[in-house]
Amino acid sequence: MKTKKIIPNILVVVFCLLYLFPIYLILTNSFKSRAEMYENMVALPTKFSLKYYASALDKINFSISLWNSIVLTVVSIAIIVILSAMTAWMFVRSKNKLSTFFFGLLVATMLIPFQTIMMPLMQEMNWIGNHLHIPMTDTVPGLIFMYIGFGAGMGVFLYHGFVNSIPVSLEEAATIDGCNTWTLFWKIVFPILKPTTMTVIILDVIWIWNDYLLPSLTLKSKANRTIPISTAKFFGQYTISWNEAMAALVITIIPVAIFYMFCQKYIVKGVAAGAVKG
Amino acid sequence: MKMKKTLAFFLAATMTATLALEGCGSTADSGSKDSTSTSGESTESAGGAEEGIEYGKVIIFQSKTEIMDQLNKCAEDFTEETGIEVEVWETSGDSYFTDLKTDVSTGKGPTLFSLAPGSESVTMADYLEDLSDLSFADKIAENMADEVNGKMVGVPYTLEGFGLVYDKSLVDPATLNSTDALISFLEKAKADGINGLGLSQEDYFLIMHILNTPFALQNDPDAYLAQVLAGTVRMIDNEEFVEFAKVMEAIRANCTNPVDLTYDNNCGDFATGKTALIHQGNWAYGMFKDYEVEFEMGVAPLPIVGNNKVAVSVPAAWYVNTDASEEEKASAKAFLEWLYTSETGADYLMNQFGFIPVVEGMTSEKLDPLSQSVADAAAAGNTIGWSLSNWPAGISTALAPITAQFFTSDMTGEELVNQLNDAFVEAAK
Amino acid sequence: MKIKKGWYALFTMPLMLIFIIVVVIPFVIGIGYSFVTWDGFAKHQADFVGFSNYTKVFRDERFLRAALRTTIYTLFSVLSVNVLGLIFSLIVTTALKVRNFARTMLFVPYLIGGLILGYIWKSVFSEYFLSIGWGNWLTNATRAMIAMVVVTTWQMAGYVMIVYITGIMAIPDDVLEAAKVDGAGYFQTLFKIKFPLLMPSFTICLFLTLSNCFKVYDVNVALTGTGPNYQSEMFSLNIYNEIFDLSNFGYGQAKAIIFFMIIAVITLIQVSITKKREVAM
Repeated sequence: MKTKKIIPNILVVVFCLLYLFPIYLILTNSFKSRAEMYENMVALPTKFSLKYYASALDKINFSISLWNSIVLTVVSIAIIVILSAMTAWMFVRSKNKLSTFFFGLLVATMLIPFQTIMMPLMQEMNWIGNHLHIPMTDTVPGLIFMYIGFGAGMGVFLYHGFVNSIPVSLEEAATIDGCNTWTLFWKIVFPILKPTTMTVIILDVIWIWNDYLLPSLTLKSKANRTIPISTAKFFGQYTISWNEAMAALVITIIPVAIFYMFCQKYIVKGVAAGAVKG
Repeated sequence: MKMKKTLAFFLAATMTATLALEGCGSTADSGSKDSTSTSGESTESAGGAEEGIEYGKVIIFQSKTEIMDQLNKCAEDFTEETGIEVEVWETSGDSYFTDLKTDVSTGKGPTLFSLAPGSESVTMADYLEDLSDLSFADKIAENMADEVNGKMVGVPYTLEGFGLVYDKSLVDPATLNSTDALISFLEKAKADGINGLGLSQEDYFLIMHILNTPFALQNDPDAYLAQVLAGTVRMIDNEEFVEFAKVMEAIRANCTNPVDLTYDNNCGDFATGKTALIHQGNWAYGMFKDYEVEFEMGVAPLPIVGNNKVAVSVPAAWYVNTDASEEEKASAKAFLEWLYTSETGADYLMNQFGFIPVVEGMTSEKLDPLSQSVADAAAAGNTIGWSLSNWPAGISTALAPITAQFFTSDMTGEELVNQLNDAFVEAAK
Repeated sequence: MKIKKGWYALFTMPLMLIFIIVVVIPFVIGIGYSFVTWDGFAKHQADFVGFSNYTKVFRDERFLRAALRTTIYTLFSVLSVNVLGLIFSLIVTTALKVRNFARTMLFVPYLIGGLILGYIWKSVFSEYFLSIGWGNWLTNATRAMIAMVVVTTWQMAGYVMIVYITGIMAIPDDVLEAAKVDGAGYFQTLFKIKFPLLMPSFTICLFLTLSNCFKVYDVNVALTGTGPNYQSEMFSLNIYNEIFDLSNFGYGQAKAIIFFMIIAVITLIQVSITKKREVAM
């Protein structure tokens, strides 16, 4: 029995390692000088020096950028999760024309390529800044506001699908026990949605953490920059400072990788009670 | 249950309230920062700042990512010497113009920005402030300041030149004095097992730069271009273009296929002695420095019809946003004034940014070999212009696919020139 | 279940309001721009041209070819992403010891978004392939398209895997046990029990991949650009080039609106088909 299981395990591990070949390229080349990288892209570096990591950290103003990225990601996602769970649940549970219309609109707008609305969006945001005196551009809260709008589609879409699979009977029982709509949602429904919440969080974290275009249009001043904006300067028009860019990339993905490892265990735990066992 | 309900509601309410407050707090912050900066308490009169003028904050946005770190330090020094606040926005080389366009169109443009003189500055003409009152305006080298509609609007960064960048240990540039000499060198190089002349796959390095030479060699390049665009002359009837076609055929026959080479590879091959010539410019030296190249190098002319001139022009220039407030514009001009006339500023320009001096009276002893050879060509008057900055917008995306097609098929040089010609006519419509 | 109007508003209004301000209004403004010719600079005149931007789109061969190409690319990518993602999710929900390791590793490609990945793959397909004698894939139109499908699959398989895992985890144990008791084999359980119960996940994943592939931009720019000879230019890049490179803002917007309508129709058809096949629990 034991030997039988070793082979598939090994196969899976080997496959995973092959699958990550491009990541291997990023890692090894983040230690190499330009000439060394040019000599042989695939070979291991001859010496492990953290030189490029140090200069990348210095050039991207790491502590400020990291802090901005974290605030932006955490706050945006907390609000996206709360609001889209509430909205999706309401849309499923009261199936009226308004719900259908807005759900359709949310899903349809997920299909708009961002490049085509970025100019009107910026015009509108500046208009709000100039006429309503709510600064939307070059402020982190303004950008969070925009992320909520852009994250609404996928959030509601994912929750909508899973709310559909929760039996209504559970909620009706709770209503009879005296829960009002608010407590019903937070005490009964939201906990059941945990696996979906995790999915939404994971997918949105990666989107917002890596997003370049939207922040590059809104966050201009030095104090507001996120990690992707701070690393943009490694990409010149014709040439890339490869080693610094890759070192910066490795630094950028470490926090999300750790976060993901933490979360994916949680997906299992959230449902594993009573589910698949070996 | 009732208690719990109220509690839950309050929790939610306070949460929303804190969020809202946080939002207000930070925005109020940035607002106040702005207002103090515009009041400008600077009275020190070092460098460009003058007494009695109100200074605002300068926002600099520019496309040359290579000098970004030095520019940030430069901005700090400027603030220290003059008290005027400066902020440098950052971007990647590819998204620069898109970002700039979105910014100025939505009314949030930077104060001081860069453009390529020519097509870019012409389209944006009504956003550009007249800079002729700068003290060094008339000391800028002849024809190098950007003038649009008769106004001096752009202060040049540096000179850039391109041509055949040669490795002197592999080829003597003096022998490359005609199309035939160049072609026979390429044949010999192939026999010796080295790459004679490297182009690379990027639009500009594949076709735009090399096609500039036959255009720029015409007696009146602008008039000739206009005729080509109007369809009244065909490029193939012209000797320069015939020889250009021969060179392209020889490259295809004897050299590494350019569509397989990126800029990085092409420069890498050159730096490691595998390529004798690359059609490149002095900007490439930054990369050779990383390779610790030891051989002697320089920029030689592309010798079609015996040409002995290098294509030299201003790749980018500084422009002041005319929509900025008077205080901001004053500061932006003060910054330029400081950069080009003060000792610290000039040190940044020449030693930190590695720019070739463009203002009379400025000299640099520390130029890299490629820049030195461009500067020498400019000093000797051995230069032709960059006709390509006047080509129709977006033409590069039309020319490059045709050229890539040429290099991967058996199309003749004549067909290549004709198809390029058609693309020009098409783009002019 | 009856829900009062007040609660309905409280639950849905905040998000809908933000959504309208951030997405809907700019989109509507964008529709307005599609009726003018304009170069995108606020100070320059925009001329009203009615529907001529729209009629022009159908005569724009470069755009039509990009449309066809994007559709083909999307078809292949959606298929391979979902097949691979589903296989991954089935592997990592087994009892294998290395399942958690695999779950992390297979998702890592998606962690690295954006352009740099495209550049890495670009050097794999050109330099690395040249060095092992396979030739440069990015200079041949068909191979360049295959390369794009490969990169897309590589990047997105882990992404849909997450959604499928959530779906598989939600299948109640007793259903699977019952099947086992009834003597169903692995494949019987897979096709007769798991797949029908996974229909909501299929709906979601197909929609997400479909919309992402139609909108593909980053991979296109970094890997192939428009070349060779415009033979790898996709929808989004074509629109982007029209707006920002060629400065035809109005015309680019008209393309975008048409593009939007096409994918809206396709994806709505897909959603309604798979929705019908979902099993109520």
